[in-house]
Amino acid sequence: MNTLTARAGTSVSNLTRARMPMVATTVLLIVTVTAAATLQGNFFTPYGMTANFATILPIATVAVAQTIIVLSGGIDLSIGTIVTLSSVVTVRLMDGGDPSQVPLALAAGLATGAACGLFNGLLVAVLRLQPIVATFATSFVFGGVALLVLSSPGGTVPAVLTGGYRQVFAYLVPVPALLLLVLWLAWRLLRAQRIGQYLYAVGGNAGASYASAVPVTWVRVFAYTAGGTVAALAGVALLANSGSGDPFIGNELTLGSIAALVIGGTRLRGGAGGAGGSILGAIILTLIQNLVFFAGVPTNARELVNGAIIIIAIALAGLLTARSERAGRSEGRTA
Amino acid sequence: MASTAFLEMTGVRKRYGGVTALDGADFAAEAGTVHAVLGPNGSGKSTLLKVLTGVVAPDEGEVRLNGRALRPRGPRDTAEAGISAVYQELSLIDDFSVLDNLVLGVEPRKRGVRDRAAARRLALPWLERFAEAFGGRVPVDERVADLDPGERQVVEVCKALVRQPRVLVLDEATASLRRRQVEVLFDVVRELRESGVLVLFITHRLAEILAVCDRATIMRNGSDIRTVTIAEVPERDLVELMVGELAAAESTESSATDEVRLDVDGLSAGRLHDATFQVRAGEVLGLGGLQGQGQSHLLSALFGALKPRAGTITLDGETVQSRSPKQAVRAKIAYVPGDRGSQGLALGRPILENFALPSAGRRAWLGIGLSRKRELAAARAVAERISTRYGSLDDPVSTLSGGNQQKIVVGKWFPTEPRVVLMDDPAKGIDVRAKAELFHVVRELAASGAAVLISASDDRELVELCDRVLVLFEGRIVDEVEGDRLTEETLVSSAMHITEADRAVATTATADTDPAAPEREDS
Amino acid sequence: MSAPQTSTPTSSPIADRLRRAARDPVVVSGIAALALWVVAAIVSPAFASWSQILTLLMLASFLGVIAIGQTLVIIAGGEGIDLSVGAVATLAAIIGSRYMDGSNENLLLAVVLALGAAAIVGVINGVGILMFRVPPLVMTLGMIAVVYGFIRLYTGGRPAGSAAPALRTLVTGDTVAGIPGVLWLWLALSVLVIWLLRRTSYGWRLYAVGGNPNAAYLSGVNTKAVKLSAYVLSSVFAGVGGLLLLGYTQTVFLRLADPYMLPSVAATVVGGTALIGGVGGYLGTIIGAILLTVLDSFLRILQLGGGAGDAPRQIIYGLVLLVVLSAYGRQRRLRQ
Repeated sequence: MNTLTARAGTSVSNLTRARMPMVATTVLLIVTVTAAATLQGNFFTPYGMTANFATILPIATVAVAQTIIVLSGGIDLSIGTIVTLSSVVTVRLMDGGDPSQVPLALAAGLATGAACGLFNGLLVAVLRLQPIVATFATSFVFGGVALLVLSSPGGTVPAVLTGGYRQVFAYLVPVPALLLLVLWLAWRLLRAQRIGQYLYAVGGNAGASYASAVPVTWVRVFAYTAGGTVAALAGVALLANSGSGDPFIGNELTLGSIAALVIGGTRLRGGAGGAGGSILGAIILTLIQNLVFFAGVPTNARELVNGAIIIIAIALAGLLTARSERAGRSEGRTA
Repeated sequence: MASTAFLEMTGVRKRYGGVTALDGADFAAEAGTVHAVLGPNGSGKSTLLKVLTGVVAPDEGEVRLNGRALRPRGPRDTAEAGISAVYQELSLIDDFSVLDNLVLGVEPRKRGVRDRAAARRLALPWLERFAEAFGGRVPVDERVADLDPGERQVVEVCKALVRQPRVLVLDEATASLRRRQVEVLFDVVRELRESGVLVLFITHRLAEILAVCDRATIMRNGSDIRTVTIAEVPERDLVELMVGELAAAESTESSATDEVRLDVDGLSAGRLHDATFQVRAGEVLGLGGLQGQGQSHLLSALFGALKPRAGTITLDGETVQSRSPKQAVRAKIAYVPGDRGSQGLALGRPILENFALPSAGRRAWLGIGLSRKRELAAARAVAERISTRYGSLDDPVSTLSGGNQQKIVVGKWFPTEPRVVLMDDPAKGIDVRAKAELFHVVRELAASGAAVLISASDDRELVELCDRVLVLFEGRIVDEVEGDRLTEETLVSSAMHITEADRAVATTATADTDPAAPEREDS
Repeated sequence: MSAPQTSTPTSSPIADRLRRAARDPVVVSGIAALALWVVAAIVSPAFASWSQILTLLMLASFLGVIAIGQTLVIIAGGEGIDLSVGAVATLAAIIGSRYMDGSNENLLLAVVLALGAAAIVGVINGVGILMFRVPPLVMTLGMIAVVYGFIRLYTGGRPAGSAAPALRTLVTGDTVAGIPGVLWLWLALSVLVIWLLRRTSYGWRLYAVGGNPNAAYLSGVNTKAVKLSAYVLSSVFAGVGGLLLLGYTQTVFLRLADPYMLPSVAATVVGGTALIGGVGGYLGTIIGAILLTVLDSFLRILQLGGGAGDAPRQIIYGLVLLVVLSAYGRQRRLRQ
């Protein structure tokens, strides 16, 4: 009887421990939204919502892409340049404003992202290069190719995209927010597949997955390819938001994507977390950057403050997961 | 065995770098039997079964199952052929629920989406069958990381069973189980045997072999020695086959003095509970018992690599606060870790650097600058003393044989003039000659006044080498053997915690007795 | 049994030694650098002139000095890498130029402050990586943003000052034998670093930590202290590189040393220091730095770097890195 109650007690504490990152993320979200709503007068207006979600969507999308890869035990430091490359390919193909070219251009952009992801996936899964350096190297390849495709900012995005991106439904629901919802639903669908489960399995313990007849190599290739494809979507979102092409447009998103997923509770070593948290993480990150702006931090200090916030967030999240894992292990030993 | 055996493995060879794991092993077993694979550690039994399950790719050899050649490219292929394994190191995903782990790789689907209800239907019967092993509950949705080691092992067993295997491999699956859990497992194993499943069983526990196995194949040095029918072999012979011929070990001169060098009082760390003992200068103290009973934790706690929960350590009358290996080294404690490849040596670095690592600072000019001449001289002096064979001191350590590598792991401590030497199974996986030379080195260390603590997976080594042996079981010191009592037989029976009464029960092969796995005190 | 004393086994035949040399990254990169230079000299005879060679080596020296720390960090292992070297070099140059402000008066103070600031970045990197367990690549990548953010705050977007004349003389002046001072300095630093790695207990510990951190820890090495020191030294040497660059360019701009970030990794890896840690040395990095500088100059003559800015060079650097990685940076197979 005694052991039974003790067991119930530990499983409750286990539950709270497992949910801990999610609780922390939610608290952080509430705090930042409250602060933003206070400091940013027009936060809950159609204009404010559109402006916020228009900047959130690209970073959230890249964060989801990175999450798929990180869950599987990898990391993609080229993801920002994949965003850039697919966006410049898209903008080159639909330059001239002819709406009939839009579908083809979008398809080409997605294909570019998928191809880049596939390339990374093959390097990591088949050639067995360390993910972190291999994708670091490809980031220069993709970034260089992007510069060849579009050497300087330019190109115009058809009004269909830019206009559509700024639409608002039901007074407070802008199109980017709807797209974010669609992205999350797509993630849930992926999660429900076998491959969704295998992402977690491979990231959690590749050796054990292999011994359990999980197709580890294929799962890794899939993760990078899917990540590249989703990153290409972020490229399109950036284009729709800015209205023109830029050969550096997405490069800075790599670090942001990692920060967002870490804030959202995904473990950088893989196997735990999820894209939902990463979307929240991206929202928090964007709002914090807005706060830095609205709180009147001097222009010249903003870059430093933003950089410091990202680093501190990653470091604290790293410490938290290390702690809870250590606690979990020692508990397992004495149980 | 006839050539039509259900499972046949012939001429299987596997080398890892310079180490031969399997040296042309043959193996055959019939469906509907429980077949034990026995042998000391490093004899290749685990590797043999990993070849069968497809995790290890053999260099040579053939596997035939039910008359058909099996050439797996990986575990996916063997799983399809109906082979399931319960591994020694677990194949579970810690963050997954028990249910998700059970169906990993075989998730039922409905319209492309994972079907959790069907998964439950698939897994639940087995969990319910083992409910008793989970203390009466059915932990479908609990996270595997939150289960205790024994329960995880049971989950591992269920995971293999969910796949409905024709061949079930149990690789030391009982090592971390409690008595009740073993009982349930054995009931299931007997049912599987009835339904025509071949169960391959690796264990070190004699009583389990007697209780559930039909036949046994004994492995040594990477090949099979003999296959026997359990019922036809007297128990004593079986023990002999397991541990090797009980040749009278030549005991060496003791150099033990009366001076207490190391005094350990109530030390608890990791699996180790409340260890109290003394070691005298010049004494070689053995740590016996089955593997993983806390010997490694005792040694690493003494070295400061594992944080103790309680207890005091006194060295030459002074309390030692070894919170890190660095401090332990400063207090002149030396440590030879159990896994020389991953813990003892930087394999890619030159022999010279590996030799110098613990002591280079002492010889350095201003604590920094090294003289190549002086380093070479120091390394050569030690190498000669412990008769190490090498090409050049600048060659990577990985070019040496296992035995010579191990001598470097030991020899690198000589220049630090250790007062206490801790050795974790130092003779594991090295050949007979290197072993003899290594033991000579250990004796020499003791003769120079050091207190030596040594664990060994082979009891004969302890008999040969030690003045006194502490036997550990489930983290506690359960026996102290010295003098005339220090024989291999005493150690074997003491390690298995078998009394004469238990033996009598075991040999009658009553189903519900497993003396080897008594209830744990802390559960 | 005792052993032969020579460092290379004299008993082995010449063919064996040649085969071994053909697999030595230092030899391979050296031959590649030489071959590339010969090709470049054929395409453009100016390449072969003494002054052009000196210029090439001078350009290589900045990369070489910045890559010293990169080499130490990568040798120390644990996925060690320092991407912040470019930003740190820029930071040191900017602080240095502000305090020198074109005169020799505050030279010493300027150097101390610049290197001190660099060392602080190194400490932050080390603490983030060792205490907070942030992967080195992510930590140092993030530090780039922080350092540039700080530079922006510090300079208000407009870096001030210029190099001290003494620094300029040290870097570009023909001090001895008609060879620019910076090359002598590079030589001195190289000797120092190679000595540090090969003949000091610190160097041996660094290799041991990189080769097998468990074994090093269990031999009484304070592995965290060793790794921390590698990150601090990396930043300090990057700072030295930044100051030398300042002496060369006289004035500073915001992204002065940015182009050295990737090449510092590439030079180290091309020179045979493997990213798994515990393997390699600074001699290889020197060769790697020269090889990349020759390659870079060659691409410039071919005018590949013309209209599209950095693009082709970026792509080629990336591909070179990938090729080298596939040659000796692979991970373990799943199936044993």
